[in-house]
Amino acid sequence: MLYHYIYITTLIILGIMLFACLIRAVKGPRIADRLVSVNMMGTMVIVMISILALMLDEGFLVDVSLVYAMISFLAVVVLSKVYIGIYEEKRYQAKEPHNNDEGGMSDGSL
Amino acid sequence: MGVYEWIRLIIGSVFLICGLVIFFTEIFGVFHLDYVLNRMHATAMGDTLGIASCLLGLIIFSGFNFTSLKMLLIVIFLWFASPVSSHVLARLEVATNDNLSARCKVYTDLETLEAELAREHTKETGGEPS
Repeated sequence: MLYHYIYITTLIILGIMLFACLIRAVKGPRIADRLVSVNMMGTMVIVMISILALMLDEGFLVDVSLVYAMISFLAVVVLSKVYIGIYEEKRYQAKEPHNNDEGGMSDGSL
Repeated sequence: MGVYEWIRLIIGSVFLICGLVIFFTEIFGVFHLDYVLNRMHATAMGDTLGIASCLLGLIIFSGFNFTSLKMLLIVIFLWFASPVSSHVLARLEVATNDNLSARCKVYTDLETLEAELAREHTKETGGEPS
């Protein structure tokens, strides 16, 4: 019974923190801000699912949590690559009608 | 409940509360700092230490069985995945920010950075009598 109260309290606190992360994801001025806060939300949701696995005494929920960790990591990597590609394409198209000389940023800093 | 049960409860709760405090610090840092490359510093702490502390508390609660082994696997996976995702996010930020030099110092080639580091090194060691 005491364990049950501990789990409920932790879940409530994590839910409030998750809401704060959501606010940051909505407010974030740049695209990297949103991805950072989505990554942070994924971490908290992993902890919440693990707590639920112990609270409901269902062992398979930890498997769900492990798969969630992998998918969250994959989502961040793939979205970053996609946005880098979109930006490069946009910059190339903006540069194409004019003279195509080299831009200010070199590729070594990327 | 016996003595060992109480000890297990207290140690697990301490780890769980440590994890929650670290998560709170992470959110405070994300709202306090004002740029992505600074905010990433705060989130990396929660991704590694926060989840490790929380899941260690849960492992102590559940005892030694397959559930706790899987939780350990989650922690080890995130220790490998979090630096990679931070690196990719930093690359995204550097690639898409047009005026990055307003936020931090940018070295366009490696020779400039090495020359500056060598100059700082000689200045530090030259000032000391040893």
